[in-house]
Formats: sequence, C-alpha cells, structure tokens
Amino acid sequence: MKQILVIAKRELAATFDSPIAYIAATVFLVVTALMFFYGIDGNEDFFEARQATLRPLFDGAPWVLAVILPAVTMRLVAEEKKTGTLELLVTLPVSDLAIIVGKLLGAVGFLVVALLLTLVFPALVLKLGSPDLGALVGGYIGLLLIGTTFLALGVMTSTWTHNQIVAFILGLLLCVFFWTATDSLIKLAFEQPPMALQLLTFKSQFAAFAKGVVDIRNVFYFLSVTAVAVVASTYMLKSRNWK
Amino acid sequence: MARDAVIQIRDLVKEYGSFRALKGISFDVRQGEILGLLGPNGAGKSTTMKILTSFISATSGSVTIDGLDLFANPIETRRRIGYLPESTALYTDMVVYDYLQYCGQMRGFSRKQIDERIDALAHRVGIVEKLTASIGTLSKGYKQRVGLAQALLHNPKIVILDEPTSGLDPNQIVEIRELIQELGKDHTVILSTHILPEVRQTCDRVVIVHRGEVAADGTIEQLEGKMADQHELVVGVVPAAGESDAALRDALGGMAGVRRCTVGYHTQEPVEHVTLQLSASRDVRPEIAVWARETNHTVVELRRKSMDLEGIFQHLTSDR
Repeated sequence: MKQILVIAKRELAATFDSPIAYIAATVFLVVTALMFFYGIDGNEDFFEARQATLRPLFDGAPWVLAVILPAVTMRLVAEEKKTGTLELLVTLPVSDLAIIVGKLLGAVGFLVVALLLTLVFPALVLKLGSPDLGALVGGYIGLLLIGTTFLALGVMTSTWTHNQIVAFILGLLLCVFFWTATDSLIKLAFEQPPMALQLLTFKSQFAAFAKGVVDIRNVFYFLSVTAVAVVASTYMLKSRNWK
Repeated sequence: MARDAVIQIRDLVKEYGSFRALKGISFDVRQGEILGLLGPNGAGKSTTMKILTSFISATSGSVTIDGLDLFANPIETRRRIGYLPESTALYTDMVVYDYLQYCGQMRGFSRKQIDERIDALAHRVGIVEKLTASIGTLSKGYKQRVGLAQALLHNPKIVILDEPTSGLDPNQIVEIRELIQELGKDHTVILSTHILPEVRQTCDRVVIVHRGEVAADGTIEQLEGKMADQHELVVGVVPAAGESDAALRDALGGMAGVRRCTVGYHTQEPVEHVTLQLSASRDVRPEIAVWARETNHTVVELRRKSMDLEGIFQHLTSDR
C-alpha cells in the first residue's frame, strides 16, 4: 500500500519538525551513554572493566526506550483528534488500518535514527577490542523489535484521547509496565513462577537478543504484541462516534 | 426517486447514546445540482455530512453514492467525494504545496498529475502566491481556500462543503460563493449553512433539516409556493380619537378571510400596525379601502408579507 508510506513519510517529517524528537533522541543518547560507560547501576566503569562488551547498553536501552518512545507517539492520533485534522485524514480513501500502520512506520523511522546514533558505542568497542559481533547485531535487532512494540503501544494510547499528555503518560505506564512490572508481578505472585509465564514477559523475550540469539519465536512474540496494539488502535479509530 | 440521483439517502438514523441526532432522514441529490442543507445549529446538518463522507457511521438507514452502497464500499465512495469539513483543520506544520502533494498522493495520484492539478486549482481558488507559505501562517480565508483546493484536487464527482463561508469576511464570502456557483457546472455540490442569503444565491435546491428530520425539501420557488397560503397583510392605520385596540381588532379582524388579527404595539407615532393573517386566495385590500373610507380612517400603509425563505425557515424551525 503506497499510502502507508505516504503517511509514514509525513509523520517522520512532522516528528522531526517538533522539538520533541530532538529532546527524545538526546535523552536516549545521553542516558545510554551513561549506562554504557558506567553500567546500568552506575557502579561499573567501562574502561576499568576492560571488557569489549555491549551488555550494559542492551540491558539499559529498553528502559530508556520505554520512557522516550511514548513521547514520540503521543501526538500521532491525539493531536489530529484535537485539531480536527483527523476528519480529513480518515475521509481520504485509505483504510483505518493503513493510517495506523503508516503512523507507526513513521515512528519506527525515528527509532531507527535514534538507534543509528548509538552506533558510536559499538564503534568504540570495536576500536578497543573484539566484541561478539553476533551479540551486537542481535542486540540491535532486539532493540528495534522491542522499540517497535513500545511505539505500537504508544500509538494505541494516542488513539484513546485527544490529550497528548494523557497519551504520553498512559503510553509510558504501559511500556514500563510491560518491560519491568510483569516480571516483578509474576515473581510476587508465585514462589516458583511457571516457566510459561516467565517466558511471556518482555524481559525474558528480549534477553536472547542481547546474547546475540535471534530466535524466530522471540521475533514472533514482539511482532504479535505489536500487531495486537495495531489492531486495537485501528478498532479505536474505527469507533469514532464523537460529534 | 429521481433517476439521475447521485446520492440517495434513506431513513438515515444516527444515535449518540440516547440522543437521536438524525431521526430518519431521506432525500436525493441529483447530478450537477447545488443542494443547500439548511437548518439551525445542531439540527443534524454536519452529522449528515459526516456520514456521507464516512467519517462516522450511521445507526441505521442506507446511503447510495453514485450507485454504490456507502456502508459496503466506504473507500470507493470516498474517491468520488471531496470534503471540506466545518473545522477546515489542516496540518499547520506543512507548506501549502507539500500539503496538496500529500493529499494527492494519498489519493493515489503521481507527482506529475498532482502538479498539473495544483497548477489549475491554485488559480481557480486563488492561492497561487501562497503555495510556498506554511499553512500555519495563513489567514482563515486562505486556509479555507486551501481546504477547498484539497477537496477539489481529485476532481471529484461530489463536493461536500460544511459551512464553507463561516468565519470569512464579507469579501471572502462573496468570492467563495462565486466559486461554489462555478463548481456547480461540473460537480454535484452539497453545502450546509445557516446563512439564508447564501442559499438563495448559490443553491438550486434546499433541504431544511430540523431536529434530525427533513422539514422541507424543494427548490426555493417550490418552498415559497407551498407557503403562499400563509401570507400576511400589514395594515398601518391611524386610529380615530379614543379608539381602542380592541375596536380596531374587531373591525379589521371581522372581515371574511382573516384568520387572525394582531394589533401592534403602541408607538410614539399615531400609526397602529395591524397584522392580518389571511387564508389562501383571499385579498381583503379592497375591503379595507372601503372600510377606511366609510369610517373615516387614514390608512398609511398596506403591505403584503409573503413567506420568503427566511419566513419558511423560521416557520419550520422555530421551537414554538
């Protein structure tokens, strides 16, 4: 569908037209840099550890993505609802699904740019040692997938309201919840958490990527969650009955 | 049912929870006509238009657009429609030209095709010098024109304009009206408004909507004809010294064919205005002349008030 790309292109341009994209990218870069050099808890030192590893980056980056990506997606639908431009968009000969997918793709464009910026860290590690290239590639694929999932959740909350701040806070809560709270909740609920449940959390699904294992099941997992969020967003857009 | 109807609306109902915004609206729009959708605010004009453009769904009823069932073919029918919503909300972060390119691409046209269309349209709607301007910096009038250009970009069979002149200054209103009249030559146009002179100037036919129902449907002449038996006569008369309102009312109201007689307010002037509501085909003016001569009254005014569009509108949509 050509229109999906037309929408994605416009959204990407609009994203970089607002200061939020630059703030989000800067926050992402600075926080991942801190995590990279000082470890996720701040008590490891990259140069002292003398390890050519990117683990701190891949452990920490999803946290940062869960916080900044809802800021990128918050305007996608909410703003159009508020200003009324949604009326023209949805009365164009495009399906509601195409609109949501196009908007999500535009946001993924931002994610790709943000991830490309962090390539300075692997470049540094490559210069100093010989890291596991598989882990490097796998980790980035994982970040792209979990990031896309966060974006889809953000798009979903953006369809729930015409208030961008509300969309952001709800998106943030959802992303952080899926990234960490599911894990903790399962551990709280069960003394011996069933393996199946543990496997269902974002964290356990992402862990393999960080080790350099790109398992089709993990890929499928994140794409499924993304698909559910996309379908939920489309449904929300379809149910427009406001006056 | 007219054979050349481009849009057929049948028993259209729209409910928002327990509120019935449309209570079963039916009307046709014929090929090449400019139809004015008229009604007070909140009557259901915008709701009807939002359903036609498939922005919102209907609760029940059917709509056929160019032979296609709207609810079964929403994408196909959207291709045939150009729409200017009431809000005229445009992406303020975009340059006019880029925005029109975007709209064209969303409708599946190539860059070159869109360029040609923009070229022709920019002259027609008068935005040539604004093509490189950011939409956010445009005045309301220019935004409206960009909205119109967007609605006409794909040369649609049907153009739907929701209050196209609201918020414009008098000069802009005249320009937009002229443009709409021109559109009628090769498009079928539905426009909504509550400005009555606009309808008289631009529309071939009028559908008056009131409280979610069609209150009247026809050409302006037809509607005025229907209301011909509702005409009134205003008599300006100088009362005799000491003559009371009641006496006047008895004298004039007692004439044959007068259904109702109201005597106007006392003013500083010595003239009393008496309004007579007449039944059809009854002309009491000669009788009044005779009465005035015989009773030595001075009649200073004798004015027939036929129901014009304003009168019809008020008659149909006043809540009393």
